[in-house]
Amino acid sequence: MAAIWLLTIKNIKLLLRAKWSALIVIFAPLLLILLLGLSYNTSNSFGIVVGVYAPEFTGDINEFTNLLKEEQFAIREYPESIESCISDIKGGSVHTCISLPKNLHVQDNTQKEITFYVDPSRINLVWMVQETVKSKFNIKSQEISQELTQDILTKVEDTRSQLSTQSTNVISAKEKASAANEGASSVAQKLQGLDLQAPEATYNTSEANLTGTLSNIKEKLNEAVVIVKDAGLEESKEDEVVSALAGPVNIINSFLDSGTGDLLTKLQTDLETVKGKLSAAATTVSSSAETLSTSTSSLQEVSTALEAMQNSINDMQSKLDSLKVTDAQTISSPFVTKIEKVSGERTYLNYLFPALLVLVIMFSTMLLGTTLVMIEKHSPAFLRNFFVPVSKFTFITSTYVTNIVMIVTQIIVILGISLFFIKDTLGSFGSVALILFIGASVFTFIGMIIGYLFMSEETATLASISLGSVFLLFSGVILPLEAVPPFIRAIASFNPFVLTEKLVREVFLFGAPLSQNLLDLGILAGYAIVLFVAILIMESLLHKHLVHKFMHRHHVFHRQREKQMKNI
Amino acid sequence: MDLIRLREVTKEYRKRAVLQNVSLTIEEGDIFGVIGQSGSGKTTLLNLIAGFIEPTDGQVVYYPEGSTKEKDLHRNFSQIKRHIGYTPQHNSLYPKLTVQENLWHFGRLYKIDKQTLTTNIRNLLNFTHLFDYRHFLSEQLSGGMQKRLDLSCSLVHKPRLLILDEPTSDLDPILQKEIIHLLQEVNKQGVTIIIASHHLESIENICNKVAIIHQGKVHTHGLMEEVRKPYLKDHFTIRVRSVEQKQLLIDKLKVLPIQKIVDKGNSLVIYPSNIENTMANLLKIIKEENLFLHDLDLRRPSLNEIFEKITTDAAN
Repeated sequence: MAAIWLLTIKNIKLLLRAKWSALIVIFAPLLLILLLGLSYNTSNSFGIVVGVYAPEFTGDINEFTNLLKEEQFAIREYPESIESCISDIKGGSVHTCISLPKNLHVQDNTQKEITFYVDPSRINLVWMVQETVKSKFNIKSQEISQELTQDILTKVEDTRSQLSTQSTNVISAKEKASAANEGASSVAQKLQGLDLQAPEATYNTSEANLTGTLSNIKEKLNEAVVIVKDAGLEESKEDEVVSALAGPVNIINSFLDSGTGDLLTKLQTDLETVKGKLSAAATTVSSSAETLSTSTSSLQEVSTALEAMQNSINDMQSKLDSLKVTDAQTISSPFVTKIEKVSGERTYLNYLFPALLVLVIMFSTMLLGTTLVMIEKHSPAFLRNFFVPVSKFTFITSTYVTNIVMIVTQIIVILGISLFFIKDTLGSFGSVALILFIGASVFTFIGMIIGYLFMSEETATLASISLGSVFLLFSGVILPLEAVPPFIRAIASFNPFVLTEKLVREVFLFGAPLSQNLLDLGILAGYAIVLFVAILIMESLLHKHLVHKFMHRHHVFHRQREKQMKNI
Repeated sequence: MDLIRLREVTKEYRKRAVLQNVSLTIEEGDIFGVIGQSGSGKTTLLNLIAGFIEPTDGQVVYYPEGSTKEKDLHRNFSQIKRHIGYTPQHNSLYPKLTVQENLWHFGRLYKIDKQTLTTNIRNLLNFTHLFDYRHFLSEQLSGGMQKRLDLSCSLVHKPRLLILDEPTSDLDPILQKEIIHLLQEVNKQGVTIIIASHHLESIENICNKVAIIHQGKVHTHGLMEEVRKPYLKDHFTIRVRSVEQKQLLIDKLKVLPIQKIVDKGNSLVIYPSNIENTMANLLKIIKEENLFLHDLDLRRPSLNEIFEKITTDAAN
């Protein structure tokens, strides 16, 4: 136990006394945690850019985009077409596209279709964006559903209120109709009770006619007497005319007084009877007219009430007709969301492949670059190379070429094997290989720089792995880069891993031509050139120092060995 | 003809002088030995000549072949370095390359054409007796073989100057002799050799010139005899088999011009007036009287004695 402790103490001392080892062992994890803490200690999605396409950016569309803005999403509007938005997803400048209808008002039983376009290769981001954006849609959907339901309920309430009003009218109309009914019944009974039977006696009509004519003449003569009297004639003349007229009247009277009187009496009797009946009928008709008038009035009211009811029903009908959305599904879910993958349906391996490929290349090249430099630095032949007439450029290039040969072999193997799993991607292999070649060059040079900077192989390897981890953690592969604050994201966007992975993804998954990504490719190539020049400068500055250190190390080693030999 | 000249060279590390005012001349064809204790500065001196480090003060100059026009070694190192072969204390080889591959690799880096290089390699392999091992990985070779291969790698481009740092350290006496012999052969082919070693015997056997360095200062340098001259003894010691023979010898020596003879029991310490004459007569006496010589301590001091004297004097 004591020995273990003793050895452990010794190991720790050795580790801490080697300056760089101590720095890497102690500070690298601290730095890593610090960086991650500063970057990801937030739940915000700072950098998610949502592309919104709508045929027209109406008020409710803008209202919806404002909802998204509340979530700190950056909104980019695409009024022309969804294709340009999809193209930007492929380019990585937009994370999701939403294709919206002209407006979000539901006007009929058709659900409004909202399509999300996502890049499935960015798995960790897709779900986050999708869920967040969908939740916003759910809020909007709920609002609209509520509006629709409220509309229906308002109209139902109006109908109910109108029906209640009309119910009173119906009762009143019913009472009035009943009264009219009674009136009509009474009139009917009365009319039924009328005796309109004519007397059955027969009359000698010629006698009757004569009697009639004589009576008529008599009346005319009487009228003439009245007119004469009323004419204001002199009394003598008047008397003369009256006496002239009295003669015929007397003749007629005497005629009438003869046998013709019975007939007239009989007629008069019948007439009296008829007159009585007519009088009774007139009374009945008069009372019926009153009843009928009352009934007519009642019926008029009933008619008015019914008209009002009809209007009310029409109103209710039109209100109910104005309800365009009656489909329960549309009311409950006015929006139907659809997810479209911009790269087409593929397996997860397809989506992960670019990141995996770059990951393998990054760690392989960085470690290999470091190892190759360390091998050369620690090689017993290191000193001999000091004398050979070979430029530093050639030495560095040879290390680089060695690395690239190894990596190209790896790339061929990886791409070859990947053909078994990911078919129909052969067409993009040329471009992918070129990107990987440039990316591998950058990582090789980074690895080589680490190799030149550190003396101990273990420290250099640790530094390579640490730096690789930093590249990985700030690449968006593990945690979405969009979750880090903007300034860190801006720095991370220049991460060579991010650039390489983005290029491979675009070419591999979306089949984008390299000409579309010349800027990123140029940045990567620029890195490679700058790093190469940096290595050249570093080599010029450090080479003598390295040789000196190398010699010193060996010199000290031999001295110690001599001492040991002497002691033996 | 001069090959390398050091003029008042001083090298300091963190204001501490490791070498002080060193002035030396190495001529073409020399086997120049640099001797000194560990930490005396001999490796620093070698590194200065090899171009690894630059002097803090002073100058190291190089004379191109057939020219007396000197060139600053460090300023023109890129042109000069191809004329230098360097064999450090440790082997400077690629362990995972074969004997032939190592030679080929370094030969090609010196831009030697393939045909010439093939011939050079074959000659070197035969010369160093490594031909049969040419397909062995260098890490599979014994220590002596590795040293020979290392030497071959330093010679593959036919340098004018071969610098060796402790070439015989870590080797057993037989291998040391082997290497010494090899170096003599290399020198015969016209290669100037500079050797730094604390194996004084090796240096004494092979070098025609020597520089003794102690605490960063060159105390003496030049041809071996010139170095020895100030340290020549005024006496020599002889020991014969018996007392009778000793007495006989004393009697015979008395007639010679000898200042004094000190009898030390088993041996006699003789202080001659004329050393050459006395030595000649001594050998004649031994031969005539058939004396059995047990030991003769010559008057010429060994390098080791000179070195010890210098270090002791410096300490005092």
